[in-house]
Amino acid sequence: MTSREASPVLLGGTRSGPDTSPDRASAARPRVALVGPPNAGKSTLFNRLTGLRQKVANYPGVTVERKSGFHRTAYGLVDVVDLPGIHGLSPRSLDQIVTRDVLLGHAEGEPGPDAVILVLDATRLESHLMVAEPILALGLPSLVVLTMADELGRRKGQVTERGLSEQLGVEVALVNARAGQGLEKIERFLEALYTGGEEVRACPVVVAAEAEVGPRGRPLPVVDVFAARRARAQALGQAAHFQAPTPSKLTERLDSVFLHRVLGPLCFLAVVVVVFQSIFAWATPLMDGTEAVIATSGEWLAVRLPDTWIRSLVIDGVWLGVGSVVVFLPQILILFFFLGILEDSGYMARAAVIADRMMHRVGLQGQSFLPLLSAYACAVPAILAARTVEDERDRLATIFVAPFMTCSARLPVYALLIAAFIPERPLLGPVLGQRSAVLLGLYALGFLAAVGTAAILKRSLLRGKPSPFVMELPPYRLPTVKSIVARLLDRARVFLRRAGRIILAVAVALWVLAQIPQAPGGGPPPVADSALGAMGKVIEPVIEPLGFDWRIGIGLVTSLAAREVIVGTLGTIYGVEDEDETSLELQEALRQDLDLGSAVALMVFFVFALQCMSTVAVMRRETGGWRWPILQFSYMLLLAYVTAWGANALL
Amino acid sequence: MAACVNDRGRPVDANEDPLRDVRLADVPLDEEVILVRMDMAGDDLEPLLERGIVPGCRVCPVRHSPAGGPTVYRVDGSLVALRRETASCLCVRSALEAAGVLDPN
Repeated sequence: MTSREASPVLLGGTRSGPDTSPDRASAARPRVALVGPPNAGKSTLFNRLTGLRQKVANYPGVTVERKSGFHRTAYGLVDVVDLPGIHGLSPRSLDQIVTRDVLLGHAEGEPGPDAVILVLDATRLESHLMVAEPILALGLPSLVVLTMADELGRRKGQVTERGLSEQLGVEVALVNARAGQGLEKIERFLEALYTGGEEVRACPVVVAAEAEVGPRGRPLPVVDVFAARRARAQALGQAAHFQAPTPSKLTERLDSVFLHRVLGPLCFLAVVVVVFQSIFAWATPLMDGTEAVIATSGEWLAVRLPDTWIRSLVIDGVWLGVGSVVVFLPQILILFFFLGILEDSGYMARAAVIADRMMHRVGLQGQSFLPLLSAYACAVPAILAARTVEDERDRLATIFVAPFMTCSARLPVYALLIAAFIPERPLLGPVLGQRSAVLLGLYALGFLAAVGTAAILKRSLLRGKPSPFVMELPPYRLPTVKSIVARLLDRARVFLRRAGRIILAVAVALWVLAQIPQAPGGGPPPVADSALGAMGKVIEPVIEPLGFDWRIGIGLVTSLAAREVIVGTLGTIYGVEDEDETSLELQEALRQDLDLGSAVALMVFFVFALQCMSTVAVMRRETGGWRWPILQFSYMLLLAYVTAWGANALL
Repeated sequence: MAACVNDRGRPVDANEDPLRDVRLADVPLDEEVILVRMDMAGDDLEPLLERGIVPGCRVCPVRHSPAGGPTVYRVDGSLVALRRETASCLCVRSALEAAGVLDPN
């Protein structure tokens, strides 16, 4: 454990060293980092200090999120950085590596913080003090904030701020961040960053550094390090007159339902159904509304643009392309609303426990369940949600199989093809018709592919000793509106930025390809003669064994942007070709080009193929390179091709 | 879980005071015990150690999850779920028996 000189309090930005801060305007402000174990109330305090003016970015090169905002003190603004929840500073997880680098000022493009606010849960003081020790030992000016003051009191526990403060040599504040009680000390601490007040000081106790070396300078076994740390944490707790609270009655009562032999799985199922129902049924009116807004605003804009290629580019390229992504926003926000409530309330950890047995069988962990459930809405948020999976191999496996889950972008494609090729016939009386059965079959196929692929991955590329499942079950708490709103804003931004950019690029590229070469009289050429049509014809020999012609080929190419784009593309292609005023219905047109075998082949192709550049882009970000996305894309394409070929040959 | 090894990587001798070794996985619900030894390899240990599951700590199984899933334990005021295979690598002693011997309080 290295210690470093306590940095002097900075007055008005006399920070030493080259400033490579990405945000120049804030370069002169004092910077304070919030650190602490997960579920200690760090985010609540962060929201309380910064309001909703938050910025979320990734640390360069890694997938750890960097949340920052600022707090207004009487003397000026203070930058607040919320670091990921950690259990220590050992380089065991990415979160811990990043936290350590940021605190030591080793993080790329980010000077070290001027001070640290260490957020600990007062109800679990002793185990949280174990986490605190290596952080305090860094020698940064620190304030220790003990949260959940209300809960500690309610459950008949106690702790004295002064006792702990005397032992640690730094200020200690006992707060209730939800209700905003006890925040004055934090305010004074932040002000002292400007005034140079004595509140800002480093913990002089650096015992940890020496204690971790055994006799003759050999490092102690890790168990002994922690046992010693625990003994010191307990001694600190005693000095602070810490009295552990009685176990939470509410948590016990709720767990006796949510982890009950029978009721537990039933509640779990109910949660899954509600989330599922919400992202399909309840999101539909909102999605229709969004679609209408995009269409109306597009028309409004079209009238005001000159009738040249510019209008076509803006409306047919940009507006429709970006619109095809924005339409998923309500669904994603609803999904994250539920996930936020599940996580903040503490149920998520219970769900992971319930799902663990099932997920363990395919080689994954309980934590992988909810990301995979999210993937039924869209793989992009699912891949982001997989960050909660602690084990790196399990996280990779989870995000690798997430795109197999039937995302909602596949639905329009399935709906069109099923309506065109599968006659409606009752299969199980009024309960299940042939069309629904096919749709369910497509869902099942994707699910089986995900499970099978996970099992294969965990036995090959991601083989390794299964890491022990250690799941902390936080006490149940009522989620706060602020933290849910902050989460939604944050996810909406991430989704629009990441998915939006790539869709915009692809949409414009497709538009350009459809425009060239220009027809003799100006204007776009017939699709068959355009560069896009040429591309369809180039790939035609490859897709012929699947029963597809060049038109479907174009659809497959354009659906790389987003799967449902193929519906619009096919509409355009058949519409353009059809000289007759009363153009054929798309379904009928499709029936002329595809038979049952090739239609099923097309559906199966969509089950497996990774026809989604947003997913590829997010995958690249989340795995830190092209290796995984390229492997994933090739694997899924190969699987899609082979199965589609099989379906076409058999039917 | 691979074969249990102790914290110095030595395989556990099955005959090592067999009478006194109880595995956490076999402790009945609501019986408080004290963790005495962790028979696991170093890498696997750390996630447990960081959550306060350290030799000397008091552990109490509070709830089995459905269908043989992980069991929930109370450890120093926190609730932690462990799979059976992990819990069976943790050697414990009854809190009553160990009182005054191992309990730092």
